[in-house]
Amino acid sequence: MRNEIELEGIIEDYLNGKLTEAETKAFEQLRLNDPSVDHKVVAHKVFLESLRDYAVTLDLKGKMDEAHGHVDVDTLSRKFRPHPSFVVNIWRKNKAALGVAASFILLTMAMLYSIQQNTEQIGSVEQVKRDLTSLKSSQSSLIRKINSTANASIPKNERPANYGGTGFALTANGYILTNLHVIEGAESITVVDNSGEPYKVRVIRTDSQYDLAILKITDNRFKGLSNLPYRLKRNTIGMGEEVYTLGFPKDDAVYGRGYVSSKTGYNGDTTQYQVSIPVNPGNSGGPLLDQQGNIIGVISAKQNQVDGATFAVKSKYIQEALNSIPNDSLGNKVAFSKRNSLQGLSKPKQIEKIKDYVFMIKVYK
Amino acid sequence: MSNKLSSSVPTDREVVLGILNNSDDALNKLYVGYFPMILQFILNNNGDEDDAKDVYQEGIIVLYNKIKSGNFELSSKLKTYIYSVCRRIWLKKLAQHSRKTSNIADFEDVIATEDDVEQHEEKDQQFKKMQSALQHLGEPCKTIIQDFYINNLSMQDICEKFGYTNTDNAKTQKYKCLQRLKKLFFQIDLK
Repeated sequence: MRNEIELEGIIEDYLNGKLTEAETKAFEQLRLNDPSVDHKVVAHKVFLESLRDYAVTLDLKGKMDEAHGHVDVDTLSRKFRPHPSFVVNIWRKNKAALGVAASFILLTMAMLYSIQQNTEQIGSVEQVKRDLTSLKSSQSSLIRKINSTANASIPKNERPANYGGTGFALTANGYILTNLHVIEGAESITVVDNSGEPYKVRVIRTDSQYDLAILKITDNRFKGLSNLPYRLKRNTIGMGEEVYTLGFPKDDAVYGRGYVSSKTGYNGDTTQYQVSIPVNPGNSGGPLLDQQGNIIGVISAKQNQVDGATFAVKSKYIQEALNSIPNDSLGNKVAFSKRNSLQGLSKPKQIEKIKDYVFMIKVYK
Repeated sequence: MSNKLSSSVPTDREVVLGILNNSDDALNKLYVGYFPMILQFILNNNGDEDDAKDVYQEGIIVLYNKIKSGNFELSSKLKTYIYSVCRRIWLKKLAQHSRKTSNIADFEDVIATEDDVEQHEEKDQQFKKMQSALQHLGEPCKTIIQDFYINNLSMQDICEKFGYTNTDNAKTQKYKCLQRLKKLFFQIDLK
């Protein structure tokens, strides 16, 4: 027992390097000669090492516990706890991707903002113009103001027309659809057909919700039209669909081509499409047709300060406006043409057929 | 945008040098800096705050030992390393408790850390054995052993502290205690 204790003491001193050089040499000799001593040294070393590891880890844990005390676990776990909401989870899991998307949007917005900055002056110029023409909406309605000097082509009127727009035939017996803002406040309205023939019309119905108005040619000279070549498309059409319009920004019909750029209109108005198509004052009320010659909407406004953002009332609401008219006020023919004789025709052929059904509307105030 | 590591995180270099120099401050910063990341991971993968604390501390121990052992190379970010180690540890724990392990919600990149974690498990086994052995040792043996081997007190100090009449008695006591500890240590078979 005594020897054992002595031996352990020596082993510990040996392992800690506390023996003198001579003692170390002697002890190593002993280890070589006596395997049992050697074994004890090794075993003791291993055990002391694990004891030291234990001490180090214990110390580390103690320090970490102390550090843990400084962490506000409650607040953090409230932040990270799986949220019941699906959306929040998505957000958390795809934070990086959404971050990229968000920064992209921010960048875009910054660019848009700078565009706005640039166009601010132009915008304010338009504001002045709108004040003059007493159009209050932030969209500039596309009524053409006809200058009295440029009015030589209509000698039949004693008074020059003040405003112009476009309309198109709803039925063969002289019902014409246009925008309400085109004819609003009018003292008298005249429509001019493709051959330059003016007819007197009466306002049958106005629909301020969708900015639509239905007129009826009352002139005795009007002989009626042949069957309508186009059809009203009932369902909405998709983004990117190529469309065209025919209108009267000047005294002759002008063709414009574009595409549906958004399924909603100004400020997300679901009753309208946003169409990228060049239009000018005077195009208001013009038909918007797809490639097959189906009417998909009515050109009604364009956003100033934004390039190529034109808005068109969806065809669905034309049908609604039509339906809301009591049968007797339309005679007995409310039904829109169901056939479309334009299908498959080339664009010039289509336009050739349509132009007889698109009218210039002249408004006298 | 990133609320993962809201508190200031020390640089990887700072941490490695700090740990090599036994800097408590560096350890503190390291601990506080990356805890939220692991908390988030555990909370979103079937664990609670206590699980997060346990797993995270094990993860830090793995990192600590790796740095101390001297063969630590910064082949990846510390953040990635810690996350991967903790993730591995947590997945093993989940499997042990046969809790759901499919659909792990990840928040960081993951690198292979299997070897380090396995090594750590062996060490952890030893740690638990020693902890348990010391607990079973009882007083005054536990304190004598701790004072001598862990706190590095001299035989003289221990002699005075425990009121032994001479150092030989203290030495004999310490010898007996160590023998018993060894016996306990090698007997304990952890499940």
